[in-house]
Amino acid sequence: MSSDEKDPEMICALTADEHAVLRRGLRSLPQTMPPREVWTRIRQQAEAEGLLTATPPSSRSRWYTGIGLAAALALVAVMIPGNQDVIDPTTVVPQGATSNSTDLSNLRALQVQSRELERDLRSLPAEPRVARAGTVATMSDIESRIAAIDYQLSDPTVEWADGDKEIFWRERVRLMKLLLQLRYAQAQRAAY
Amino acid sequence: MSKFADIKIDPGVVRRAAGGDAKAHEIIYRAFATPVYSICLRFTKAPANAEDLVQETFIEIMRSIASFRGEAALGSWIRRIAVTKSLMFLRSAWTKRGQALADDWDDMTAGDAVSHGISSHPDDAMDLDAALANLPDVSRAVIWLHDVEGFTHKEIADLMGKTESFSKSQLSRAYQRLRPMLSAEKSTQPDGAAVGSY
Repeated sequence: MSSDEKDPEMICALTADEHAVLRRGLRSLPQTMPPREVWTRIRQQAEAEGLLTATPPSSRSRWYTGIGLAAALALVAVMIPGNQDVIDPTTVVPQGATSNSTDLSNLRALQVQSRELERDLRSLPAEPRVARAGTVATMSDIESRIAAIDYQLSDPTVEWADGDKEIFWRERVRLMKLLLQLRYAQAQRAAY
Repeated sequence: MSKFADIKIDPGVVRRAAGGDAKAHEIIYRAFATPVYSICLRFTKAPANAEDLVQETFIEIMRSIASFRGEAALGSWIRRIAVTKSLMFLRSAWTKRGQALADDWDDMTAGDAVSHGISSHPDDAMDLDAALANLPDVSRAVIWLHDVEGFTHKEIADLMGKTESFSKSQLSRAYQRLRPMLSAEKSTQPDGAAVGSY
């Protein structure tokens, strides 16, 4: 796959700079999590077709229940001393790790990174009184998704495997980055 | 880069999934659900259709993962399934409309960009999102596959059952449509700002 090659014919409608801006913008568009019930539907169909051989207990309830552990984890993340190196969440998953044997340092790094992003967010100027409706809607959506993750992680009745926690925390960090970028851009606009 | 490439799954989980292990499949789903849903939503624009495609994609994964040999990354393999399902959906929709692939671009005239909400002064992701959403289905699929997922024109042509020229033409048209907002974005972007990076 050679999309990085600059084929003059391919980008004839754009300058190289425009093409770079466009590609960067496209690749940075936010992603969307599917509704929780999609997994339930998949599982039901898979079971009906005999595609699954085992049914782990309480996996379904994990998608539906929640409150407690995540709030605790979020609190723990906020209170962790800040002397650890921040690790890029896209590089922390070792190839040999399994869901249940995830290196705890990865999880903690994500929690630290999440805490630092929270701090960076708080350090930005207050939101302007007048803002673009689209931007506000996007930020509201991101905040809702972060809250949903916190809700999932908070469930005191579910004991998440470290690998599962890591998935949630990685998504939380990603969403926090998006939110920070939007708030930063908003602050930049307000400054002009 | 494509989000699929960032996700790593332990080979042991893949082996367990190949044996039909429900927990392993749940792990794979949780890891890839967001990028799969995102690409399906990008192609179809309708959440309900995207959800159906996510379901079809992961059911296909469950059916086929035993044949996954690991020559390519798991993410690339899953992405291709999702893309194929999405394109099949678009083909089906086009068929229902009695419309050929090549006609799709003609759904919009040049003046539609403004009326469909493409901002002339864009400086956030919503503008690009809106502009992308208002491209015709084929052009949107081609630009996404090429510029985000990194497919070559030949690969896109193969996926769509068209020629490379068709892919290039659709891409060029999409660029022409998006170019005004890019010029505005460049002119409003302060040095070092992250405006263009989200």
